[in-house]
Amino acid sequence: MSILDADDGGDLAGALAALQSDEEGELSLHDGSRVAVIGGGPAGSLFSYFLLQMAENVGLEIEINIFEPRHFTHRGAAGCNHCGGVVSESLVQTLAAEGVNLPPKVVQRGIECYALNQDVGTVEIATPLNEKRIAAVYRGNGPRQSEPLEFIGFDRYVQDLAEQKGARIVRKLVSGLQRLGGGIRVLCPDGSGGDFDLAVVATGVNSHFLEGVDGLEIGYSGPETRKAFLCEFPLGRKEIENRLGAALQIFLLDMPGLKFAGLIPKGDLATMCVIGENIDEQLIEAFLEAPEVKRCFPDGSVPPHICHCFPRVNTRSAVKPFADRIVMIGDTGTTRLYKDGIGGAYRTAKAAARTVMFSGISEDDFRQHYWPTCEKIESDNNIGRFLFAVTRQVQKWRFLRRAVLNMTAAEQRRATGPRRMSSVLWDVFTGSAPYKEVLLNTFHPAYVATLTWHIMLSLVIGVFSFGSRGQR
Amino acid sequence: MTSSARCKTDRIYAEQAEKLPPCRTGCPGGADVRGWIGVIAQREKSGLPADEAYRRAWEIIVDRNPFPSVMGRICPHPCEDGCNRVDKDGAVSINAMERFIGDWAIERAWALPVMDEGPQAESIGVIGAGPAGLSFAYQMARRGYSVHVYEASDTPGGMLRHGIPAYRLPEDILAAEIARIVAVGVELHLASRIGGDLSLAKLRERHDALFLGIGAQRARRLGIPGEDGPGVWTGTEYLGRKKNGQPIDLGRKVAVIGGGNTAIDAARSARRDGAEVVLVYRRSRDEMPAADHEIEDALVEKVGIECLAAPVEIRRNDGHVRTLIVQKMELGELDASGRRRPVPIGGKQTEMEVDSVITAVSQEPEWDRLDQEAPDGARMESRLWAGGDALGLGTASIAIAQGRLAAETMQAELRGLPAPQPLSDHTVQTGQVKLDYYDGQERVQRAHIPTAQWLSQPDMEVDRTITREAFEGEAGRCLSCGLCFGCQQCWMYCNPSGYTRLETVGPGMYFSFDPEKCEGCGKCIEICPSGYLAPSE
Ligand SMILES: Cc1cc2nc3c(=O)[nH]c(=O)nc-3n(C[C@H](O)[C@H](O)[C@H](O)COP(=O)(O)OP(=O)(O)OC[C@H]3O[C@@H](n4cnc5c(N)ncnc54)[C@H](O)[C@@H]3O)c2cc1C
Ligand SMILES: Cc1cc2nc3c(=O)[nH]c(=O)nc-3n(C[C@H](O)[C@H](O)[C@H](O)COP(=O)(O)OP(=O)(O)OC[C@H]3O[C@@H](n4cnc5c(N)ncnc54)[C@H](O)[C@@H]3O)c2cc1C
Ligand code: SF4
Ligand code: SF4
Repeated sequence: MSILDADDGGDLAGALAALQSDEEGELSLHDGSRVAVIGGGPAGSLFSYFLLQMAENVGLEIEINIFEPRHFTHRGAAGCNHCGGVVSESLVQTLAAEGVNLPPKVVQRGIECYALNQDVGTVEIATPLNEKRIAAVYRGNGPRQSEPLEFIGFDRYVQDLAEQKGARIVRKLVSGLQRLGGGIRVLCPDGSGGDFDLAVVATGVNSHFLEGVDGLEIGYSGPETRKAFLCEFPLGRKEIENRLGAALQIFLLDMPGLKFAGLIPKGDLATMCVIGENIDEQLIEAFLEAPEVKRCFPDGSVPPHICHCFPRVNTRSAVKPFADRIVMIGDTGTTRLYKDGIGGAYRTAKAAARTVMFSGISEDDFRQHYWPTCEKIESDNNIGRFLFAVTRQVQKWRFLRRAVLNMTAAEQRRATGPRRMSSVLWDVFTGSAPYKEVLLNTFHPAYVATLTWHIMLSLVIGVFSFGSRGQR
Repeated sequence: MTSSARCKTDRIYAEQAEKLPPCRTGCPGGADVRGWIGVIAQREKSGLPADEAYRRAWEIIVDRNPFPSVMGRICPHPCEDGCNRVDKDGAVSINAMERFIGDWAIERAWALPVMDEGPQAESIGVIGAGPAGLSFAYQMARRGYSVHVYEASDTPGGMLRHGIPAYRLPEDILAAEIARIVAVGVELHLASRIGGDLSLAKLRERHDALFLGIGAQRARRLGIPGEDGPGVWTGTEYLGRKKNGQPIDLGRKVAVIGGGNTAIDAARSARRDGAEVVLVYRRSRDEMPAADHEIEDALVEKVGIECLAAPVEIRRNDGHVRTLIVQKMELGELDASGRRRPVPIGGKQTEMEVDSVITAVSQEPEWDRLDQEAPDGARMESRLWAGGDALGLGTASIAIAQGRLAAETMQAELRGLPAPQPLSDHTVQTGQVKLDYYDGQERVQRAHIPTAQWLSQPDMEVDRTITREAFEGEAGRCLSCGLCFGCQQCWMYCNPSGYTRLETVGPGMYFSFDPEKCEGCGKCIEICPSGYLAPSE
C-alpha cells in the first residue's frame, strides 16, 4: 500500500478542490478535532502530553490517538527504541519543570562522572557543580536475555503519562497516510485507521514509514542518518559498582570510521554505544578488541553481549518537515547531533504542540512557529559538526590526545578553580549545553593558554618517552 | 561480513519459515484451516472480491474434504481443541465457519474442482458409499479415472445417511454434497451388495484397483440373558429404520445402553418419539466417548443418564420387555485404553422398569460377508486398499482422510510417482504466537433454534448456520499461526531493509527476505505475531 493509494488518483481533483475551499480559518484545531500521532516514542508521547495539557488549559476538547504497535513490555530489540539511554541533566530538569518527574523506577542509575578513555590514558571528569545527575534509562523493557526488571522503560513511562492525560493508545502500525479533502486518512495494514484533522509524524528513523511519505508530495525529505551500534553486557550489579561505578566511560580512539563510543552503566548491565561513519561487524570487532576497551571490563576481557542492534542515528535535519495538517517531530524532523536525541524530541514536540494550539495547523503556521526551533537545533548541530571535526584531529594525534588528557587530569586534581577542559568535554558528550556554548568556552583566553601549555608539554614528553603508556 | 565476526556474537539471523498450525495437526484430515480462513480474512489486502475469496476458500477445503457442509455440522472438531486463540478469548469457531461456507457453496451449486491430469485408462471399483468410499471415489474421479461405487443400500451416504439423525444432519445437505461427487464422474451402483452373487473376486476381474469402504455395520452384542427377542434393538437398527420411514414403537420407557455417539443419537431420537429415556453407561460421565456438546444437548432434552451401571439381564413378561437389571460399578485400575476399568460393586444390583432396550455398544465390520480376512492396515495389496470404519470405529473425518490418502497413494503407484509426503510436524506453540498483538474479540455464539422447539419439531435441525457477518468476524479472529499475514512490522522495523514488498500479495506472500542484508538483531523474529519468522539454523 503506498502512502497515496493508486486508486485515490481519480479522486485527487476532488480532494484538491476540497482543499482549496478549505478556508484558512479551518486550518486550526477546534472542539472535537481529531489528532493522529504516528509513533509513540518520546516525541509522539511528549507532543500528546503537551498538546492535551495546553488544550486542558484553554478548555478545548480534542481527541488524540497515538498509533504505536510496540508494547515496550517485550524484552529485547522488538520492545525498544534503541538508544544509549542517557538523559542529560538539563533535560531531567526541564522535564521536571514541565511536571514530568522521572521516578526511580525509570532511572537505572544516576551518572555522576565521566571517564575519558584514550590510548594515552584514562581520566575521570566529575559532574560540574550544582548540576543534577544524569539519568541512565532503558528505552524498552531491558535486553533480550536479561532478568525481568522492576524498572520501567523511559518510552513506556512517557507514553503512560500521555495516556493518563487522555491520549488513546492504538496498538497498531501505520502503513501510510492519505490526504482527503479537509483531513488526513491514517491507514493500517489490517484495514483500520481513521480520518483526522492533523497527522503528527513521530516514527523516528528506525522505521521505513518515511519512505512512503514521498507519495504525499509535500516537499518533505527525511533526515540523513548513519548506522550505529548498541549492545548490552550482563556484568552484574556488583561488578558494575566496583568497576564502573556511576561513571560513564567515553572512548576516543584512533580507529578509521569510528567517532566515539560510550559504555553506560545501568543496573545489572552496561550498554555499549558506538557511533561512527562506517559501522560494520569488522569495526565493532576491532573496537571490542581495543586495549582501552578491554581494560574497562573484569579481567581485562570483553564478555559476550546479550542483545544488540544497529540503529540509525540522525546526522542532518529533514527538509521541510511540515505541510498543511502534517508535521514531523523528533527524529523525523530535527534532532541534536549525536547526543540528547530525547532532548531534541522534547523541544520539537513542545514547539509543534504550541504551534498547533496557538497558531494553527497550516503549512504557514508551522513555517513561522515550528520551523525556527528546528533551525536553531540544526545551526547548533553545524557547530557540533565542527567540534567533532576538531575532536577527530585530537584523536588522530597522540600529542594532542595527551595534552587534552593532562589538562583535564590537572583540572580534576585541583579542588577549586575553573575546569575549562573538563566542562568542554562534559558538554560535548552529555548534551547538557548547546554546541555553541561549548565552542564559546573554547575561545576563552585562559582555555587557549592552558591548552597550548599542555600541548607543548605533551610534545616534549612525547619526544623523550617514546612508547610509554599514560597514567591511569 | 566475515563468518568469524558472526560467530563471536549474539547475532540471531532471521528466516521466513512456515510452520504447521495446531488446527491443522489437530484435524484428522489435515485440513488446511489456516489456508482457507486466511483467504477470507486477508481478502482485502490481497485485493480479492468477497465472492472470489469465498470460492477460493471453499476450493481449498474440498481439495481434501468434499463434505464441508456435512462436516460443518457433525464433526467433533478436534481442530478447535488446540487452536492458539483458546488462550486469548476462545478458539476460532472453525467448525461453524466450515458449515457456513459449505452451505454457501450448495446455495450457489458450485461444482467440485477437477484436476487436469486425466483421463486415465484404469477402471477403479469402490465398495461402500459411506464417507470413506465417496471420498476415495471423488479423489480418483477428479484425477481422471473411471470410478464405480457399489453400495448395498438403495441410498448412498453410509452412516451419515442411515445413522446420524435429521435433527443433526438434514438429508438435503448430505444429498447435495453427494450429488456433487457423482457429478465429477462417479458411477453409483445402488442396491448392489458385494459378496454372494457379485463376489469380491468378480470385482477384482472387472477393475484394475479396488477400495473397500464397507464401514462397521454389525452391532456388537451385550452377551446378557434376554438380549434376543422382541423389544430389544440395536442403535443403528433403530436409527436406520426411523430415517427410512419404518419407525419402531419403543413404548413409554426406554433404556439405551452405551455412551458413544450412537447411544446419544438413539436416546435423543427416542425422546423425539415421546419416550422417557435413560442412558445406561458402565463408566463415569468423563469417560463417555460421545462429544461433550452432544451429551449436554441430551441433558437439555431431559435424557436421564445412569453412569457406572452395567446391564446384566433383560426380563420379559408376556413377551414384552419389562425390566432391565443393572449392576452398579466403580472405577478401578487403568485399562489398555488408558481409562479406568469399571468393576462391579458386590451385591449392588437394581431393577429398572422399561418397555424396550436399545443397545449401542459398538459396531464391527462384516469382512466375513466378503469372504475376506480382516486386514491389518489400509494397504491390503498393491491395488487393494481399505479405509474408514472398516479399519476400526472412528469418525467421518477419519474416514474421509483415509479415503483421500488411499487415492493419493494409489495414484502415485499407478503413475509411478513418488509417494505422497506426510505433513511435517513443526507445530506452532502458543508461546511462539504473540497473543497480545491481536485485538480481542469474543468467539461467535453457537446458533440454534429455541430449546422449546427441539423436541416439538423432531426433524428440524437444532443448530443454525452462523450469519455472514459472524463468519467474516470469525475469519478475522484467526491468528494465522506460523504464516505471514502481512502485518508489515518486519518490513517497517528492519534497519537494513531486509524485507521487500511483493507485487502480488496473499496469505504467506507479502515480503521477500534477503538473508544477506540481515544484521542479526532478531527484532523481526521478536515482533512477528504469528511465529512465522524464526532464527535461521
Ligand atoms: C546508537 C544511538 C544512541 C543514542 N543514544 C542516545 C542517548 O543516550 N540519549 C538520548 O537522548 N538520545 C540518544 N539517541 C537518540 C534517540 O534515540 C532518538 O533521538 C529518540 O529516540 C528520538 O525519539 P522519537 O520519538 O523521535 O523516535 P523513536 O524513539 O525512534 O520512536 C519512534 C516510535 O515510532 C514508532 N513507529 C515507527 N514506525 C511506525 C509506524 N509505521 N506506525 C506506528 N508507529 C511507528 C516506533 O515503534 C517508535 O516507538 C541515540 C540514538 C542512537 C541511534
Ligand atoms: C449413529 C451414529 C452417529 C455418528 N455420529 C457421528 C458424528 O457426529 N460425527 C462423526 O464424525 N462421526 C459420527 N459417526 C461415525 C461415522 O458416521 C462413521 O465413522 C463413518 O460414517 C464411517 O464411514 P465409512 O465410509 O467407513 O462407513 P459407513 O459410513 O458405515 O459406510 C459404509 C457403507 O458401505 C456399505 N457396505 C457395507 N458392506 C457392503 C458390501 N458388502 N457391499 C456393498 N456395500 C456395502 C454400507 O451400506 C454403507 O453404506 C456416527 C456413527 C453413527 C452410527
Ligand atoms: S488461530 Fe487460526 S491458525 Fe491458529 S490454530 Fe486457530 S484456526 Fe488455526
Ligand atoms: S529486523 Fe532485519 S536485521 Fe533484524 S533480524 Fe530481522 S531481518 Fe535481520
